[in-house]
Amino acid sequence: MSDTMTRRDWLAASAATLAVAGCSRPVRVTPSETTIVRAPAYDQSLYDTVRRVVAAQRPAVRGRSVVIKPNLVEFEPQSVINTHPLLVHAACEAFRALGASQVTIAEGPGHRRDTLDMAEAAGYFGIIPGFEDLFVDLNLDDVTPVDLPRRISRLKRVYLPNTMLRAGLVVSMPKMKTHHWVGATLSMKNLFGAVPGGVYGWPKNVLHWAGIPESIADLHSVFPRAFTLVDGIVGMEGNGPIQGTAKPMGVLVAGTDPVAVDATCCRLMRIDPERVPYLQLAAGDAAVFAESNVRQAGEPIAAVAKPFALIPEWRGLRLEKGA
Amino acid sequence: MSRLTQQQNPDGGWPYRRGGSWTEPTVYAVLALEGGSDPAAVERGLAWLRAAQRDDGGWPVRPGVGESSWVTALVALLPPQRLGTEHHRRAISWLAAAAGADSSVLFRVKQWLMGNQVSSDATARGWSWVAGTAAWVSPTSLAILALDRENRLQPAPGLGSRIAAGRHYLLSHECQGGGWNHGSTNALGYQSGAYPETTGMALAALRGVAGRVVDESLALALRFLAECHAADAMNWLRLGLAAHGRLPAGYTPPVGLACRTVAELATGILADRAVAGESAFWI
Repeated sequence: MSDTMTRRDWLAASAATLAVAGCSRPVRVTPSETTIVRAPAYDQSLYDTVRRVVAAQRPAVRGRSVVIKPNLVEFEPQSVINTHPLLVHAACEAFRALGASQVTIAEGPGHRRDTLDMAEAAGYFGIIPGFEDLFVDLNLDDVTPVDLPRRISRLKRVYLPNTMLRAGLVVSMPKMKTHHWVGATLSMKNLFGAVPGGVYGWPKNVLHWAGIPESIADLHSVFPRAFTLVDGIVGMEGNGPIQGTAKPMGVLVAGTDPVAVDATCCRLMRIDPERVPYLQLAAGDAAVFAESNVRQAGEPIAAVAKPFALIPEWRGLRLEKGA
Repeated sequence: MSRLTQQQNPDGGWPYRRGGSWTEPTVYAVLALEGGSDPAAVERGLAWLRAAQRDDGGWPVRPGVGESSWVTALVALLPPQRLGTEHHRRAISWLAAAAGADSSVLFRVKQWLMGNQVSSDATARGWSWVAGTAAWVSPTSLAILALDRENRLQPAPGLGSRIAAGRHYLLSHECQGGGWNHGSTNALGYQSGAYPETTGMALAALRGVAGRVVDESLALALRFLAECHAADAMNWLRLGLAAHGRLPAGYTPPVGLACRTVAELATGILADRAVAGESAFWI
């Protein structure tokens, strides 16, 4: 590993410094709650575990339509790239049990166009009864232009799928993974799948040109209270989000504040959330997601945290130096 | 064919699966239904497309999205006498002038500052999905197919060199070991693999081109074909191999392959025709 600073390191450090400097005004912080539960395997016990963890967060669900947004990236059923379909099905059941009027599963992959074929290869058809009728391909859905509330990136407006915009509750279900462009991909980065490929193409290059961390923060500003349930049963470390290696963690993480959940997941991965640029941008102030400002329910972080391997470009995110 | 006509929206266009009309599935459906038993459906589709053309000559991905885009290449594949010669002429002009923003000097300087690899070859110019972003394999392939078809029918100054620059883009974005993904062959030093659908599409655009890249990619396409279970990928693999006369004789796609979108259904019909020697994508 090289100790010299690359042009990329220098630019990233400069951007982070500017972001922090620009957001240094004191903000009123209302602590958010996240729940961490142990979930050792993708098995039938997940149904009860998910029901408990969702109910504990008390999301407003009764009589509302729920749109579950998993992370579906590639055709590789044996890999750990995609959110596991058993967990998605358990979430469907949990929200139905809480009185949701309708549960839809929706995703718009950024690399591959044949979303349903990919879902079939990933096991969604086999595990989730009636999957095709429950599913909306967000890449091909009808769209509405949305003026971005905060304009953190260069984008002023983005077309978004009506299925997401009309949802009573959006549920982001990412896989806990490292990411070679932004350090970690969790609930907020998962919202890239809500940006329609039918409008912007594959990959969704407009988000890269507008700045990936900035675009993540902009999308968060459209869905600031998305309920989050993170698949951390087996995550991905190293060169995520596609080419990394499996990282058994045995946890689920849930909450109604995506910033707090993502920060908690970073701590579980032994990544410093204060050094993840999109968290800074989304929160506006690192104090929002300081460990003392996140009420932690369930398992303590220290009891289940394991360091995720990081590629050299992101070595500076490590919470413990030398780990 | 009847499944396609059943999915036509009242406005004359087609959705991908359900909902409002989009340009891409409408073009593919019109091309697939052309010459069939429901000429009225084709005429309604053509009228929808004509009405959707923007003042700059390009097409949006769907009405209401206020920007001309990659789908202009698809519309330009329609025969001029069917679309309307003026609509077609303006489509070709828009397409010939469009290019990915990554071929600009500003972009190349920015990449250098970011520590990313910058090719010393600035002559490769592809097409982007939307204006102001980089070129990618799919829009580049479709643009080449449309311009090459035009250049064979009505040669015009500049078209040949624009096609060559686009093909140069494809040849320089081959994945290690052959084939293409969207065009990102390397991220932070890690190689990215090829996809079947983009490999087939690029091979179709490289029809008539020979050399190592094409040979490697044809070999990979044949391997993809043997294990492919997705309609979009299957359609483009067949088109790409047929473009080079390399689709195995008598090959038929696996029984029960699910065509889940209008575009998949229609390009399947177009692939069947191309294999039989009647292609909408090339002359």
